[in-house]
Amino acid sequence: MAERGVPMPRRLLLWGGLTLAAACLSALRIADPVAGASGTWAQAEALEQVILFHSVLPRMAMAIVCGAALGLAGALLQRVLRNPVAEPSTLGVSAGAQLALTVATLHAPGLMEAAREGVALAGGLGAVGLILALTWRRGLEPVAVALAGMMVALTATTASAALILANGEYMFSLFIWGGGSLAQQSWGPCIAIAGRLALGFAAALLLLRPLAILGLDDSRARSLGVATVATRLAVIGIAVWLAASVTAEVGVIGFVGLAAPALASLGGVRRLGAKLVAAPLVGALLLWLTDGLVQLLAGVGGERVPTGAATALLGGPLLLWLLLRARMFEWPRFDARPAPVRRARNPAGMIALLGALALAAAALALALGRGPEGWTLAGGPLLADLLGWRGPRVAVAAAAGAMLAAAGTVLQRVTGNPLAGPEVLGVGTGAGVGLAVALFALSAPGFAIELAASAAGAVAVLAGILVLSRRPGFGAERLLMAGIAAGALCSAVLTAVIATGSPQAFQLLRWLSGSTNDATPAKAWLCLGTAAVLLAPLPFMVRWLTVLPLGDETARAVGLPVHRCRTILVVLAALLTATAALVVGPLSFVGLIAPHLARLLGLGRPAAQTGGAILIGIGLMVMSDWLARTAAFPYQLPLGLFASLLAGPYLVWLLGRTGPRSR
Amino acid sequence: MAQGLHDVVSGTVAGVGASGPTPALYELDGVAFAIGRQTILPGLSLRLEQGRIYGLVGPNGSGKSTLVRILARQQPPSAGSIRFLGQNLAGFGARPLARAVAYMPQFTPPAEGMTVRELVTLGRFPWHGALGRFGEHDAAKVAEALAETGLERFADRLVDTLSGGERQRAWLAMMLAQDTRCLLLDEPTSALDIAHQAEMLDLVRALSRARGIGAVIVLHDINMAARLCDEILALRGGSLVARGAPEAIMRPDVLSDLYGIAMGIVPHPATGEPIGFLQ
Repeated sequence: MAERGVPMPRRLLLWGGLTLAAACLSALRIADPVAGASGTWAQAEALEQVILFHSVLPRMAMAIVCGAALGLAGALLQRVLRNPVAEPSTLGVSAGAQLALTVATLHAPGLMEAAREGVALAGGLGAVGLILALTWRRGLEPVAVALAGMMVALTATTASAALILANGEYMFSLFIWGGGSLAQQSWGPCIAIAGRLALGFAAALLLLRPLAILGLDDSRARSLGVATVATRLAVIGIAVWLAASVTAEVGVIGFVGLAAPALASLGGVRRLGAKLVAAPLVGALLLWLTDGLVQLLAGVGGERVPTGAATALLGGPLLLWLLLRARMFEWPRFDARPAPVRRARNPAGMIALLGALALAAAALALALGRGPEGWTLAGGPLLADLLGWRGPRVAVAAAAGAMLAAAGTVLQRVTGNPLAGPEVLGVGTGAGVGLAVALFALSAPGFAIELAASAAGAVAVLAGILVLSRRPGFGAERLLMAGIAAGALCSAVLTAVIATGSPQAFQLLRWLSGSTNDATPAKAWLCLGTAAVLLAPLPFMVRWLTVLPLGDETARAVGLPVHRCRTILVVLAALLTATAALVVGPLSFVGLIAPHLARLLGLGRPAAQTGGAILIGIGLMVMSDWLARTAAFPYQLPLGLFASLLAGPYLVWLLGRTGPRSR
Repeated sequence: MAQGLHDVVSGTVAGVGASGPTPALYELDGVAFAIGRQTILPGLSLRLEQGRIYGLVGPNGSGKSTLVRILARQQPPSAGSIRFLGQNLAGFGARPLARAVAYMPQFTPPAEGMTVRELVTLGRFPWHGALGRFGEHDAAKVAEALAETGLERFADRLVDTLSGGERQRAWLAMMLAQDTRCLLLDEPTSALDIAHQAEMLDLVRALSRARGIGAVIVLHDINMAARLCDEILALRGGSLVARGAPEAIMRPDVLSDLYGIAMGIVPHPATGEPIGFLQ
């Protein structure tokens, strides 16, 4: 398939040009290490020497070494998991390492000093171990791995954000580090990473032959005499070690591990051995170039953007472009079909039961609380007093739960993919970017403007994905990839904005962890009103939702205007998600699991499923909010984090339960 | 409302019919299709009559599926014009077309969590649309389609739980519920064993005869095509290399040319029908 790529001379020209650009950017830094330093000539001369040898050059080397390490880790992971989206950040390695480092900084500073890399490695291995354990029974199916990885990564990131938030502004530096800053003061870290890279590379070469066979399916590999499990774990171990070392030294750098192997394939490298050489080279070039650009922009007086965030800024569009022309990937069939579920005998009764449960949850949340003297069940005048405080919170949580569940149902049916959800499509973080723009552009935007801005952000993300998905042959698997790419891109923008440390950044951090603390009656009414308006058209779209899961061909064959229907539904889902994300943050997984729960309860027809999912979403969100309020009294936990902790175990069970594809 | 829409379409068709001799089911004029620089159909002109069963045969990559997809308007042609029942195919609205043409793709999607009856009911979508009432007439058409395909006892089973042959019949029932003038089937038997292949194709033939509707069927197995079809269209490299009744196509020279491998013909021991074999 190499013939399909760019022709050879142009390809060489492209890579040569990129290398030249990176080198020029570096030369610029070497020629003028202290831009704008004041003082006498001699002083400046000496200072220049020091900065050149102890900061500029090590940073440059660090970028190259880290890029190469991540490129190698990505190439290994993609090969061994047969998964084109596998890389340290999508597998939660970086986020797990970051969480471990954050926890260690807060609770065991001594450990940080003594064994920083060990802590990072433990976190990274923990995350990957969790993902592998979750997906082992499904044969490490790519879509299951991608989803579990995203779940673990998002949860770890949010947990880090919550920890930082809970410990005040002095932890902000940790967040900047978390964005991947390559600034160096000595050669030590660079040499350390280079040594690990050399060791990792040597180990990968030793495993080259078994690795080549692991690209086939397991049974065939086993029949050729490869110890599949041992080899796979060994290779994953090497990759995680490389990625965790990088994370320990410079923080999270996304996308290099994803883009480097993909770009290497696009450049016409096909054989595994060649790829293991080319991917680190491309990774090194990517990070070197990005870091050069970041420094160039910082020199112009821009805000301090961590390089790790910038790689995602460059890498996101790159990946989208790649998805458009990628034919050289062997796309695995992302197809996670759950086992058939028996229909409920009485769907109406089931929905009534769910409604009663949701009402009970709301009543409990309103009446039962925890105070300094312990648990109190409020009633009568006390309840009336408390209603003013608890009412808005419950209303906001309920509205958000309903909207997320509806959006999830719509997206799962439109894409025909049971793993699609508001989070998976990157819409929630897109809403965050919109919110960030509003916060920075206007001094004090009101709730309505924030709502409009986050809706615009979410719609922009979805529009991008839709434009891509209109291309022929753009199936559910690429939609998922595009969504993961868009989500990572928006997360990177958010990280970069938060890293500026401004008051707006603090607001965004609060939003990221998802909090209903500041719910006011006005906000509650606005939320409920928006939910009512946005949910109202759904009953008229039930037939679309019935036909669309059968795919474009069938939908066209029965005369459904596919593109128009899909566009309308997706825009609706985006608006629902954006509104919900504004009040509870981008993370909750309620939108993903509520439709599944409804289906498992036997609500199979679209109308019943949507209604059931909405009621389940309400119940889940209200319960999460109540638990977040009472579990650690007097502290209030972030709702988004809490909801995902509740939803996580269910997803684990779901992934374990649905068997691998049978056809 | 469903009844009203029905009248509109029959009115159109009747109107065309009244204006002259019976219009052809399809009239293709210079229909070409290319992806990038790769030409799949260089330019095809042909005429298909109503009420007949056409088999599309040819080697892999000969453009059979592409042609059927173009006829179903799943894919617009790169060049050329198509008239369907005397009218420009491109001019049809989405639902009016779906009331006249039913199409089954080569790979039917998994109808996850759907019962057979619900799947067949989708065939009525072109008639009632997104908001129209699902009336008695619609229910009768669904019941008729289920009965004709022998699926009544499976009606409330989940499609996922059916065997391959039953599932294929369920999709056929959905096409019948569409109540169209023509069926387009892209390799409807590719996943079935020989008994179910024969059963499926006999069913298509019987239904096509009973309802007097035309069918265009892509088939891999030349003997199945000869057994089933009124007329066989042989494609090679996107061009029509032979066309005619099964007896005219089932000849050693024609088949050897078509598939690029030496083939012979023997008469069926019982019926005397020609059977192709590799030499």
